[in-house]
Amino acid sequence: MKKLSFFVRRICVFLLFYLLLSPLFSRPVMALSSSVAFQEVVSGMVTDVDGEPLAGVTVVVDGSDLGTVSGLDGAFSVMAGPDDLLVFSMLGFQTVSIPVNGRDAVDVVLEEELTQLGEVVLNAGYYTVSEKERTGNIATVKAEVIDKQPVDNPLAAMQGQMSGVNIVQNTGVPGGGFEIEVRGRNFINGGTDPLYIVDGVPFGSQSLGSNDVSRDIVNADISPLNAINPNDIESIEVLKDADATAIYGSRGANGVVLITTKRGKSGKTRFDARFSSSLGRITHFLDLMDTGQYLEVRREGIVNDGFGDFLENPGFASFWPDVALWGDDRYTDWQKVLIGGTAYRNNAQLSVSGGSEGTQFLVSGGFQDQTTVFPGDAKYQKASVRSNVNHRSGNDRFQINLSTSYTHEDNLLPRSDLTFKAYTLEPNAPELYDENGNLNWEDNTWDNPLATLEQKYQSRSRTLLANALLSYSIFKDLEVRASMGYTDYRMDSDKILPSSSRNPSLNLTPQSYSNLTTNASRRSSWIVEPQVQWKHHWDGFGLDVLLGSTFQQQTTSQLVMRGRGFPNNKLIYNMAAAEEVEALNSLDTDYRYNAVFGRVNLNILDRYILNLTGRRDGSSRFGPGRQFGNFGAVGLAWIFSKEGLFSESSLLSFGKLRGSYGTTGSDNIGDYRYLDTYTVTGEDYDGVTVLSPTGIFNPLFGWEANNKLETGLELGFFRDRLFINASWYRNRSSNQLVGIPLAATTGFPELTGNFDATVENSGVELDMRAVLLRTDRFQWSTTFNLSVPKSKLVRFDGLENSIFSDRYVVGKPLSITKLYNSLGVDPETGQYEFEDYNGDGQITFTEDRQWIEDLAPEYYGGLGNSIRWGNLTFDLLLQFKKQLGYNTIRYKAVPGYRGNSSVKLYDRWREPGDMESVQVAASGFVIGAGQGDIQRRSSAAVSDASFVRVRNITLNYSVPGLDGLDVDVYLQGQNLLTFTHYDGPDPEQTINNQLPPLRQFTLGLKIGF
Amino acid sequence: MKRIKKFENIRWEFLGYRLVVMVFILALANCTDFVEVDPPKNIMVSQTVFEDASTVESAMADLYFSMRESGMVSGNYGFTTRMGIYSDELDYYGFDVQLVELYQNQVLPANTEVQTWWSEAYTVIYGANAIIEGVESSSVLEEADRNRFKGQALFVRGLMHYDLVSVFGDVPYVTTTDYRVNSAVSRLPEVQVLERIESDLLMAVELMGNSDIDNMERTVPDHFVAKALLARLYGYMGKWDKAEDMATDLMSVFDLEEELGNVFLKGSGETIWQLSHGELPGNTQEAVQLIIPLIPGQSFAMTDGLLAAFEDGDLRRTEWVDSISDAENTLTLYYPYKYKARFNATESLEYSIQFRLAEQFLIRSEARAHQGNLVGALADLNEVRNRAGLVDVVVHTEGELLEAILGERRIELFTEQGHRWFDLKRTGRAAVALGALKPSWEDTDLLLPVPEGELQANPNLLPQNQGY
Repeated sequence: MKKLSFFVRRICVFLLFYLLLSPLFSRPVMALSSSVAFQEVVSGMVTDVDGEPLAGVTVVVDGSDLGTVSGLDGAFSVMAGPDDLLVFSMLGFQTVSIPVNGRDAVDVVLEEELTQLGEVVLNAGYYTVSEKERTGNIATVKAEVIDKQPVDNPLAAMQGQMSGVNIVQNTGVPGGGFEIEVRGRNFINGGTDPLYIVDGVPFGSQSLGSNDVSRDIVNADISPLNAINPNDIESIEVLKDADATAIYGSRGANGVVLITTKRGKSGKTRFDARFSSSLGRITHFLDLMDTGQYLEVRREGIVNDGFGDFLENPGFASFWPDVALWGDDRYTDWQKVLIGGTAYRNNAQLSVSGGSEGTQFLVSGGFQDQTTVFPGDAKYQKASVRSNVNHRSGNDRFQINLSTSYTHEDNLLPRSDLTFKAYTLEPNAPELYDENGNLNWEDNTWDNPLATLEQKYQSRSRTLLANALLSYSIFKDLEVRASMGYTDYRMDSDKILPSSSRNPSLNLTPQSYSNLTTNASRRSSWIVEPQVQWKHHWDGFGLDVLLGSTFQQQTTSQLVMRGRGFPNNKLIYNMAAAEEVEALNSLDTDYRYNAVFGRVNLNILDRYILNLTGRRDGSSRFGPGRQFGNFGAVGLAWIFSKEGLFSESSLLSFGKLRGSYGTTGSDNIGDYRYLDTYTVTGEDYDGVTVLSPTGIFNPLFGWEANNKLETGLELGFFRDRLFINASWYRNRSSNQLVGIPLAATTGFPELTGNFDATVENSGVELDMRAVLLRTDRFQWSTTFNLSVPKSKLVRFDGLENSIFSDRYVVGKPLSITKLYNSLGVDPETGQYEFEDYNGDGQITFTEDRQWIEDLAPEYYGGLGNSIRWGNLTFDLLLQFKKQLGYNTIRYKAVPGYRGNSSVKLYDRWREPGDMESVQVAASGFVIGAGQGDIQRRSSAAVSDASFVRVRNITLNYSVPGLDGLDVDVYLQGQNLLTFTHYDGPDPEQTINNQLPPLRQFTLGLKIGF
Repeated sequence: MKRIKKFENIRWEFLGYRLVVMVFILALANCTDFVEVDPPKNIMVSQTVFEDASTVESAMADLYFSMRESGMVSGNYGFTTRMGIYSDELDYYGFDVQLVELYQNQVLPANTEVQTWWSEAYTVIYGANAIIEGVESSSVLEEADRNRFKGQALFVRGLMHYDLVSVFGDVPYVTTTDYRVNSAVSRLPEVQVLERIESDLLMAVELMGNSDIDNMERTVPDHFVAKALLARLYGYMGKWDKAEDMATDLMSVFDLEEELGNVFLKGSGETIWQLSHGELPGNTQEAVQLIIPLIPGQSFAMTDGLLAAFEDGDLRRTEWVDSISDAENTLTLYYPYKYKARFNATESLEYSIQFRLAEQFLIRSEARAHQGNLVGALADLNEVRNRAGLVDVVVHTEGELLEAILGERRIELFTEQGHRWFDLKRTGRAAVALGALKPSWEDTDLLLPVPEGELQANPNLLPQNQGY
C-alpha cells in the first residue's frame, strides 16, 4: 500500500513537473552552441533512501538555464562545467546541491521531506495549484483514503473527511441518494447540490427518479453519482471559496466538487486485483412496546374515548382487530423480521496499467453484488468498466488523455421501504404466512407487509462518461488545450402492483387492478472547452495566464407511464397488454450554456501571490437579454515564512496568510421558467388531454448572486510535521429567486423573480494534520477537521406576506423549524398543553408556532488516525456532529393509537394528579380529538441528535517477503459504533421512515504485481 | 504584426496563424444564439397553443377539469356540500375546523375553503381570459372554431363570476391576463358584476349559436348551457320576462326524464350540462361526499328539516334519499341518494350534473308567477310534481304559489349546487329560516368574507364584507 502510493505520487509529480518545466528545456541545443567548449556530459542516478530510482527529479546547473529531468530509471545526463554546481529538486524531497568537482558521474540520494504534507498538488479544475501556493480554499480527499472505505458512492467516502462539507446519507437502501451542503444553504428556493465535474466534464447529479415509481423505496432520490466507482477515483477536491469557485461562475455558488479518476503510469505492466466481502446490518433497533404494553395502552385508549362498552362486542371487532382478534400472546419483533436481515456485499476489482514514457494506459473493471436487510431476494448489482490512455509526443509538445467509463447498475428492490412498517406494525400482528406458505391475510384484518415483496421495483441505470484532453505547446510558454466530454445517463425503472399482492377479499382482479408504472429517463450532455495558457517565469516573478471558453448542451427527457388492467398477472411487465395506458409525466428539456473564463496568477518571489479569476456566463435558463452574467474573484496569499524574519525559525516551517473575495452565481432554477407556457398535466377531461397554463411571461429574472469572502491562515511547524489550516468565511447570497406572491385575481399564486432577500452563511473551519511519531518501523499520523457554521436570513422584505412566512424568520437560519412550545401534560386533564403566545385562548398554526429550533449542525468534523507498524496499518476515522433533530415524538405523540410506537409512550398520564410527559391514551377514532398533532409539531418533538461515530476502521496487513508480489489483507468496519443520546433510528438522518445507513464489516484481499 | 516581424523568425508567422485561430474560437465564445433554445416538447409556449384547434380544445379541457376537481363547482369542495351545511340541508358530523366554521355560520376571513373558492375561480378565469385573448389574436384558427372557443371561454368566465358574486357580493370582474392589472383590481358593485356576466353570456350564446357540436353527453358547454345560466341569472336579477324566454327555449330542446331513477344517470335526457367523470373507478365526487357507507365515518347527513319537507307519497323521498344505521341500530342517518354509485370499476355511470331541465321548469314557473301568469306557472310546477308522483298543487294567491315554488325547489334541487341557500338569500328568507336553527346566525352571514390574504395582497379589495 505504502509502496504503491509512493510510486503513484512519484509518477504524478514526475508527470506534472515534466509538463510544467519541459518548455524551459526545450532549447538545449541553442544553449550548447554558446558554451560547449567548457562543458562535459555529467550523468548519474538519482535514488531515494531505499535505493529506488527517482524519476522526474529536476537537475539544474546552478546559475544557468541548463538542466534536465531524470528518467524513469532515475538516470540523468546534463552538460556541465567541472566547477558547476548541480541542483537536484523534486516535490516532496529535500533539494540537494552537489558540486561536479570535475567528475563525469554523480549519483545522488534524495531524502524525502520529513512530512507527509510535502507539496501536495491540487486540482482546481481548469488548472492545478500546489497546496502551498494556493490562494483559495480547496479541500481534498485522496485515493488512499477513499480506498479504505467500502462504499458505493463517492459522497460516502467524503463523509467526515472535509471541513465545510456536510454530507448526509438519506437511506441505507442501495442506490439511494445523499444530501450535501458545502458551507450551508445559500438559496431560499434552490437546492444545495454543488457542481460536479468528473475529469473536466460536468456531471448532472440530480436524480431522475420519479415519485410515481420510486418514492416509497428510495424517496425517488436515485443518485447518478453511484455510477462513479470510488475505486476508480484518484482524488476528490471540493472548491469552497470565491477564489476557487469563481472560475465556474454561475454554477459555483454551492461549491464545486472535482472528481479526478486514476490514470495509467509508465513502467512495467502492473496487475492489481481486489476482492472484498461485506456483511451489513442495521446499527440500532428502536425500543418499542411489547404486546402486553401495547394492548394495555390500546384498550385504555378505547375506554378513555368512551368506546369501552363496545370492546367485548364481536360486532365491533373489525374496528380493533389487534385488540379483539389477534390474541394477547402473540409477539413478533418486526424490526428483526422486516429489517433485521444481513446485507451481503461482494466486490471485485481488477485493473491493468502500465506503459512507456510516452504512452500509458489503465484498464479497470469492477463488479459488485449487494443484497439488502429486507426479506426477499432484493439485490443491487453494479458493473463498471473504465479505460484511460495518455500519450505524449516525442517532442513533448502534444499530449492527449482519453478516458471512458461505463457503468451498469441493476437495482431490484421491494416497492416500498419496510422500515416504517417495522417500527409501526402491531407487536401481536399475525403470522406472515399461513400453513400452506401463502401470504396470511388473517381474515382480512391486516395488510400483510410482505405483500410489498410481490410489488417489485427495479431500476436499471447505464452511465457513460467519456472525455478527452488535448494539449499542444505552441512554443515554450504557450500551450493550447481543448477539453471535450460527453456524458450519457439513462435510467429505466418500473414498479408493479399485481392484484395478487393485495388482500384476496378485496376481489381485485388483474383486469381491474394490476398496474405497471415505468419511468424512462435520460440525460446527456456534451461540452467543449478550448483554452490557451501562457506561463512565464522571470527571476523571482512568475505569471500564469489562462483563457478559455465553454460550450455545453444538456438534454433531459423523462417519460413516466402507467398501465392498468392486464389480462393476467404474468403479462404485467408488458405495457402493450395493459387495458389503459396513461402518460403521467413527459419531460423534454434542453439546456445550453456558454461562457468565457480566465485566470491570471502572479507570483512574486514565491511569497506574494495574486490570483484573479473571472467568467462571463450565458445560460438558456433566462429570458432574452438576461442570459449573460459576469462573475469574478481576487485571491491573495502571502507566504510570510519566506520572509527573512522567519528564515531561521526552527519552529515555524511554513506560514501563509491568504484571502479572497468574489462573486459566483446560481442558475439552478429549472429550465424555461421565463416563458408563458402551457403544460400537459397528464390529466384528461372527457378524453381530451388537459393543457394547463403554467407560467406567466416573465423575462425579467436573472442570476442569483453569491458573494464569498474568506481569509485563511496556514501554519506548518517542525518542518511541517504539524500543519494547521484555519479559515473564516462569509458568504452572502442575494438576488434570490423566489416565488413572489401574487393576488389570486391574477390567476397565479406567485411569480418567480429575483427578490431582494439576503442569506448569510459564515463560519470557521479548522484542518490539522500531524505526524506524531515517525521511526523506521512505526509511524503515527493524525488528521482533524472542524467546521463551525453559522447561517442567517439577513433580509427578506415582505416575508410576513409571502408563502415563506411559515418557515423563515429574519435574523435566523434557513434551517429553522417553527414549533409550538410544548408545556408538557396538564396533570388534571391529561392533555398536552402549549404556550399560547398571543393569549387568545386558542393554539393556532399561524400565531402560536413561535418556538424556533435550528436543525442545522452547530459544529461537525472528523478525527482520523493512521498508524503503521511494520507491515500493519491501522486507520480510524471518527465523525462527530453537534445538532438537533426530530425525535420519535415527531411521528407519534399519542399512546393508544393503532400501530406500535416507542416504549416512551407507555409511561402515560392515567389519572388526575399524574405527572407524566405523555398524554392520556386515546383510541384514534375521534378525529381531531386531543393535542397529539400539535405535540408532534412542538418543541417536544425536537431533541439532541448529536453523535460521535466510528465511521471507519481499517486494519491492513501487507504480506512481506513475496518477491514482486504485493499482497494485502484487510479488515474494515464502516459505521461501526455511534455514541448518541438520540432516541430515533439514526442521528445522521432523523427521518424515521427510511432505512438508516448500515453497519458493515468487510474482509478484503488485494494483490498486485 | 509589425512587432512580430521584427524578430524575423519564420516560426512566428506560423504561430501567429495559430493564435489567430485560437482568438477566433474564443471570440465565438459569447454567442447569444447558442444559449437560446427552443421550447421543450411537453411544454407549449402560449402562442403555439392557439395555432391549432386541438390544443385550444386541451386548454379548454383544463378549465372543465379544474372546475370539476376543486372550487365552487366541484362535487368535493363546492357549493353542494359546503352551502348545504351553511344552510339547512345538511348536518356536518366531521371535525374539519374549516367546515365546522361553515356549518355554524362562523366563517373566519382566514377560512381555507373560502380562500380556495376565491383563488380557484380566478385561476379558471385566467385560463378563460388566456383563451379569449389567444383565439382573438390567432390568425390560424378557423372562424367557426374561434367563435366556439371564445363562446365557451366567455361562458366559463361568466359562470365563475356568477358563483363569486353570489357568495362574496361585490367582486372584481377580471377580463385580462395581465398580472400587473389583475394584482391591483378593485371590487365592482354587485349590480355591475351581474350586468357584465349578462353581456358575457349573451355574447357566448351568439358565438356558440351557430356552432353545431357533436356533444351527445352534454359534457362541454354550448349555447344551450349559456342560456340555462342566463335563465338562472335573470331570475337572480328579477328580470322574469327574460328568464322565461330562456327557459322556454331550452324546453323546446330537452325533455324531463320520466323515471326519477334515470335523472342522474349520465345519459339523462334532461341534463343540459354535466362534468365528465374523473379517474376510474370514480363516478361523481357528489356520490363520494354524500353517500354514507359506514357509521361512524359519516361527514354529511340530511337535516331533519329537509326530511320533514317532503310531502307524503313523494317518490323523491324514496328514490333520491337513502339511509344507514349503525351496528346497534341506535342511530339512523339519511343521505342524498341522487347519485347512487361511489365507485364503478369499469365505466362511470354518473357525471356531475350542473344544469338540468327541472330547474328550468321551476325558473319558468317562478317567472310566470311574478308576471301574473298563474296558470302557466302552475303548469310548470305541476310538471315537476307529477313526475315525483305528487298531485297538482292547490294555491289561491300569487304569494302561496311563490311559496309552493320555493318549497318545490327545495325538494327537487336538494343538495345540488347549494340552490337552497341561494333561494333563501335572494328571497330574503335566510334570517327567518336559519336564525331559529342556527344559534350563531347573524344577518351579515349572507355574504362570505373576502379571504384575508387577498385583502393584504391587494389593498384595493378593501373594505372587507360587513360582519367579518
